[in-house]
Amino acid sequence: MSKNFYAGCDVGSTTGKAVIMNDKKILAMAIVESEIDPELTARNALLKAMAQVRELNRLEDMTYLVGTGYGRTEVPFAHKNVSEISCHALGAYFIDKKIRTIVDIGGQDIKGISLHDNGTVKEFVMNDKCAAGTGKFFEAMGRTFKVDLTEFSKLAGKAKKSISVTSQCSVFAESEVISLIAKKNPPENIALGIHESVAKRCYTLLKRVGLNQRITITGGCAKNKTLVKTLKQILKMDIAELSVDPQIIGALGAAVFAKQNGK
Amino acid sequence: MATETAESKSFGSNGNQMMFSLFDTIIRSPLNRFMEQAVDEGKIPIGYTCSYIPRMILSAKNLVPFRVFAPGVSSTEMADTYLPSTICSYTKSILDFAINGRYDFLKGWVLTSSCQHMSRFFDNLKHTVNPPFIKIIDLPNRVSESAIRWMMAEMNELRTDIQTHFQITVSDEDLNEAINRHNDSVQLLSAIGELRKNKTPVISGTEFHKLMMAALVAPEAFLFKPLSDIKDALSKRELKEDYRARVILVGGQLDDPAYINIIEQSGALVVSDRICTGSIPGLDPIPHGTDPIERISAHTLTKTSCPRMMDNFQARLAAIISAYETFQADGIIIEAIKFCDTWGLEARELTDSLREKGIPVLKLEREYRITGEGQLKTRIQAFIESMGK
Repeated sequence: MSKNFYAGCDVGSTTGKAVIMNDKKILAMAIVESEIDPELTARNALLKAMAQVRELNRLEDMTYLVGTGYGRTEVPFAHKNVSEISCHALGAYFIDKKIRTIVDIGGQDIKGISLHDNGTVKEFVMNDKCAAGTGKFFEAMGRTFKVDLTEFSKLAGKAKKSISVTSQCSVFAESEVISLIAKKNPPENIALGIHESVAKRCYTLLKRVGLNQRITITGGCAKNKTLVKTLKQILKMDIAELSVDPQIIGALGAAVFAKQNGK
Repeated sequence: MATETAESKSFGSNGNQMMFSLFDTIIRSPLNRFMEQAVDEGKIPIGYTCSYIPRMILSAKNLVPFRVFAPGVSSTEMADTYLPSTICSYTKSILDFAINGRYDFLKGWVLTSSCQHMSRFFDNLKHTVNPPFIKIIDLPNRVSESAIRWMMAEMNELRTDIQTHFQITVSDEDLNEAINRHNDSVQLLSAIGELRKNKTPVISGTEFHKLMMAALVAPEAFLFKPLSDIKDALSKRELKEDYRARVILVGGQLDDPAYINIIEQSGALVVSDRICTGSIPGLDPIPHGTDPIERISAHTLTKTSCPRMMDNFQARLAAIISAYETFQADGIIIEAIKFCDTWGLEARELTDSLREKGIPVLKLEREYRITGEGQLKTRIQAFIESMGK
């Protein structure tokens, strides 16, 4: 093989993501639903991305492959694994060199990361005690309203005012929301209250790592426009929108690592 | 003196696995085989919970000290009935074990008012189990001459109460013998701990903590030979594991080597530890002198370095920085059990002070039992990566 292909594979709890690069640019990216077996998730994501690169036929042909995410040690043929914290930092920095603070909202955890001027991790915090403020929390709340995540975000976007949801625990929050719906509160106002509670949780994490401009949001929940808007209002700061899908930033960071190590 | 078992005689040249498997066995359950043997021989095991309780007094004559821990605890339903949700999970775990009869082999308990959680443990242990002998030591919050005198009065009272309850005489000579045994034990452990300073250590932090814990929960007499054998065997050993960084573990109660193992599996070798059951400053010998009660009191009060004490933050910080330099560490991991007010507050101040000196710090909040192993590994790995290792 004369050409170099560098890949990053982010095996998350909800989705698997893969990014393939060559020496110059991003060639392919893919997102798949997570399977019970993290190795299968990784394989599915990588194969889906490889299908977009004509010269690549086998996983073994990857010049350098880096695994990340909770299933990082299960990525087949990976040369190295790197924590998702470092990968989100490097991925976001690769896209925008001015990024110094990241909030990553994944399927089952949420992280605040601050960066040095060279893109390496300066400080990080993550929740791990419960699903509050994560994608799973949004899924549970969306289920209560019988809508998917996109519709849930749109619903909250229509609200005239918010109704606070005080429970941080996903289970208790669901009960609280059911009570609020039963009291005939407008669903969109409750939905906005839920978004605000998550945004406040992000604010707390970001305060702990330091709120330095420029800030961005990564992970699947970064696609939730109402959440991003609410977070901007709470932070009273702008949030930089990255030029690539924020959900693949971890995999992109892993691919950048692969490129740095495989050259 | 308690007799040696066949197992304690057998290893030394039979390989590393065999050596450490003995210590694994000792710390697997509160009533380990050595403690069982001691009980069979008519010894009096006394449970205690804190480094401010001088175990030398509890090992005088035919007493045997047992540092209370709850290996393998999975849930604390019984303790949850009595303790509020803001009490730390160590307190809950040992109360749960106590209520469930896991410490029934103990003939008595000696506790301290070292924190509010331990005070509530005393109240609830008395209320639920009501052991025949239970005593709480009133601990000063400062280290001073008058505090040492106070501690001496507490120790004399403890000695009197033990003598009265167990119908034994604990003479000064008995205490001096206990001090000598304690010194022999800590010097042996200290010599093994010194090996962790090597550039390529021959003992991991996990293995060392197994030795430390065993020394706290099994009668000293049983462990001299196994520990000596390990010391000899280690001189010929090469540690194969490839570590990316050397770290010092700092924090409160941590008695499960499996937690350290997760850190080491993630690439950070724990080369030293300032934890309640660790080597700093737990392995300092007691100086020679005349009055054993005075020696024990002064040593316990001045050498135990806990954030519960007022006015000595700088000394605690200096000890950690000194270990960081001596053990050639790359970073420091601070761990605190959730709701531990003492270490929760200390962790914040320590983190800031250490970072000001350019020392990388990772702060972890945890439960007493191991939970969230995946997230813990992610944190450790990210910490190692952030140090450029």
